Amino acid sequence: MGESLLTTHRLSNHFGMVCTARDLDLTFERGVLTSIIGPNGAGKSTLVNLITGHLPVQAGVIRFQGRDITRLPIHERVRMGICRSFQIVNVFPELTVAQNVMIPVLARTGRSWRPLRSLSRETEAMRETEAMLAKVSLLPERDTPANALSHGDLRLLEVGVALAAAPTLLFLDEPTAGMNPVERVRLLDNIRQLAREGRTTFVVVEHDMDVVFSLSERIIVLHRGEILCDGTPGQVRSDGKVREVYLGDDVSDLFRYREE
Amino acid sequence: MQSLVHVCLAGLSNGMFIWLVASGLTLIFGVLGVLNFAHGSFYMLGAYCCFTVLSHLGAGYWAGLLLGPLAVCAAGYVVERFFLRHVYRIALPYQLLLTFAFVLIFDNLVKIVWGGGALSPPQLTFLGGSIPILGRKYPVYNLFIIAMGPAVALGLHLLLERTWYGKIIRAASSDREMSSAIGVRVPTLFTGVFVFGTWLGALGGGLAVPYVGLLTPGMGETIIIEAFIVAVIGGLGSLKGAFVGALVIGVMSAFGTRFFPTFDMFLIFILMAGVLLVRPQGLFGATR
Amino acid sequence: MSAGYRNAAAAAAVLLALCAVPFLAGKFTTYLAIRIMLLGIFAVGYNLLLGQTGLLSFGHGAFYAAGAYGLGLFGVHVSNNPLLGVAAGVAAAVLLALLVGYLCVRHTEIYFAMLTLAFGMMVFSLVWNAREITGGDDGLIGIVRAPVSIFGMARMPIGKDSQFYFFVLFFFALSVWAAHRIRHSPFGLALSGIRENARRSEFAGVPVRRYRLAVFVVSGAFAGLAGSLEALLESNARPFMAHWTHSAEPVLVSLLGGLSSLAGPLVGSAIFVAMREIIQRFTENWMLGFGIVLLVIIMGFRGGVTGTLSALFRKAPARERG
Repeated sequence: MGESLLTTHRLSNHFGMVCTARDLDLTFERGVLTSIIGPNGAGKSTLVNLITGHLPVQAGVIRFQGRDITRLPIHERVRMGICRSFQIVNVFPELTVAQNVMIPVLARTGRSWRPLRSLSRETEAMRETEAMLAKVSLLPERDTPANALSHGDLRLLEVGVALAAAPTLLFLDEPTAGMNPVERVRLLDNIRQLAREGRTTFVVVEHDMDVVFSLSERIIVLHRGEILCDGTPGQVRSDGKVREVYLGDDVSDLFRYREE
Repeated sequence: MQSLVHVCLAGLSNGMFIWLVASGLTLIFGVLGVLNFAHGSFYMLGAYCCFTVLSHLGAGYWAGLLLGPLAVCAAGYVVERFFLRHVYRIALPYQLLLTFAFVLIFDNLVKIVWGGGALSPPQLTFLGGSIPILGRKYPVYNLFIIAMGPAVALGLHLLLERTWYGKIIRAASSDREMSSAIGVRVPTLFTGVFVFGTWLGALGGGLAVPYVGLLTPGMGETIIIEAFIVAVIGGLGSLKGAFVGALVIGVMSAFGTRFFPTFDMFLIFILMAGVLLVRPQGLFGATR
Repeated sequence: MSAGYRNAAAAAAVLLALCAVPFLAGKFTTYLAIRIMLLGIFAVGYNLLLGQTGLLSFGHGAFYAAGAYGLGLFGVHVSNNPLLGVAAGVAAAVLLALLVGYLCVRHTEIYFAMLTLAFGMMVFSLVWNAREITGGDDGLIGIVRAPVSIFGMARMPIGKDSQFYFFVLFFFALSVWAAHRIRHSPFGLALSGIRENARRSEFAGVPVRRYRLAVFVVSGAFAGLAGSLEALLESNARPFMAHWTHSAEPVLVSLLGGLSSLAGPLVGSAIFVAMREIIQRFTENWMLGFGIVLLVIIMGFRGGVTGTLSALFRKAPARERG
């Protein structure tokens, strides 16, 4: 605890006239499960996109474990240990579940660059793939093509593919969107379990306050590209500015957890 | 000085001619997002249909220019309505290959109907002949082409910017789903635009009859490459870009033929590759 | 028998059958079989780019031409040892593919297709115009089929088509084997991932651009091999090899046979060459028929011949059960 994994310094971005990130200075520490919340358009996805390399940085610096990664291409960041899952399911549709997960496993272990070696010989990778599938409760579906999965299973696969890159820091963008309560509980339990194992630090972007308050040790509240509040769930709940912004939104959700 | 002026004139007429052919291709790509390989075939069909009206029906060139392209519109309608429409949503290679299949079909149909040899249209009476410019003779028809270029450009501009129909087209090309949601019958609109683009291509073919002077079944293939290059350099989907690109290519090609005869084709491809490498959206294209 | 053994047995049977062709069939059929194998090599390598990785190139004829002219020029100026010639042709194709690929793979979809088209036509125009070196429109002449010798030992003549057939068969078998291995390798899986979702592949840690370049060069090598073999077959190299209508052949053939299988491009090649031969006897407008076939495939049978057949076979057992 306390080791700083990733820091951003004056990270900024704008689309034309709209400022989606304004001088963001943030630090993510190892082992601290963080949530990023905020109303629509607050810049949550933009922040994730900038850090993971999906969006090129217009201004500011990003450092990961001391190294400047601001201009690093996406696959290099993944190799260093930063990964993400997507809000809209973004997997490999015609490949099987096992193949979906094997791609990042092979890439990570440096074994993808082998044109004449038979895939069936990659026993180590297959073992890791099956272990990963078990972690997200998808092992029974290993030979199903991704485009034949149910929505809930797809979202599990979405997280599974991201986890398979064995990231040190993993950004989950609205992982429970569109899930029914049973599926949601299953995914959250998986995430909690994995967070406890300690190898991956999770940062979750979420709209659902249940998820946010039951899962996180730290909450960052964004509003119009700026940090409105950054602290423990208790601190965020009692923050006046947060109440102001959320007035008219689901304030009741926020206050439901007052007793916890 | 005289040769310089004539080279420039050649460049202008070349350029405007290519613009006329490329305008339809660009319009179709800009609105439908489809790169129509068969556009060259529609050009060729326009030329052949015009020729038929002109020589077999004896109706004269202007009737040919009017009726020929209209006949080709029927082919364009069939292609879009019954084939292309069904492949918009699948991967790009299939769309390109579909239009390519039509290239094969139309090119060979032309050979069957009109024979595989070259056809020579009769001389034009009105707008035929040449006038002396700076001492050297220059075909009057080429001046007509040079005038037609900006005329069509202006016409398209007015259509797209000033008419209600044009607004709908622009809306549908930038946001298909939204336009559909507000009631625009997008499929019908797309068919309309495709047929209009086909008409422009066929019109180019009709205009080619006195300009190029010779009709061959391969004429579509050569022109389509030039139209592609123009569209790419100008910016795929940008009519303004296609106009400028055509001028550039036309003039470059004329200078190339005059001063570097062996490598003029090569120069043009280098230009296209160069533009794509440095500014892939073309001169006026939108950044994706 | 597991699927692996069944496939190997089938392949062995096909290879055996192919070996028998020059003995059982006439001169012309042998020639046709060679042409099918050449197109097959071209297409099976090309399909690694199109079917496996999802990249549509309209310029691979340039690498085919590089192979042909590479072998031709090497043969005319250096040595007419066929093995060295083929090596020279493939090397020329690989170098060209490296250069063109490096410039093209940073773009995708339409721009990639157009860029490759442009480069292909550039090579065509260069070859056409450089008459002193390439012979221009008349093609490169003076290519001979010298006997194959390895380090001066074991001279095997390939002057007759029936002898040359085995030379080609060797490379054909090698190519199909290599394509098969690549398809089922970790590299091949990464390529499939790039086809399905390039963005996600980046986020899986796959260096997408580098892999695209690699498969581009590999497919260019296959094209160069086919080109150099054709130069030996026809004893000449022609500019048309780099023309975009020739570049379209592996595309059409792969689509016809089926983009997602190894056998697809091979089946497509056989059908294409056979169709061309048969129909050309009746009319020179055989491409019309081919255009219609292509239309039918795109509109309803996108799996191609192999895809449609395997779908039929999958349904049949169910019908029997029911």
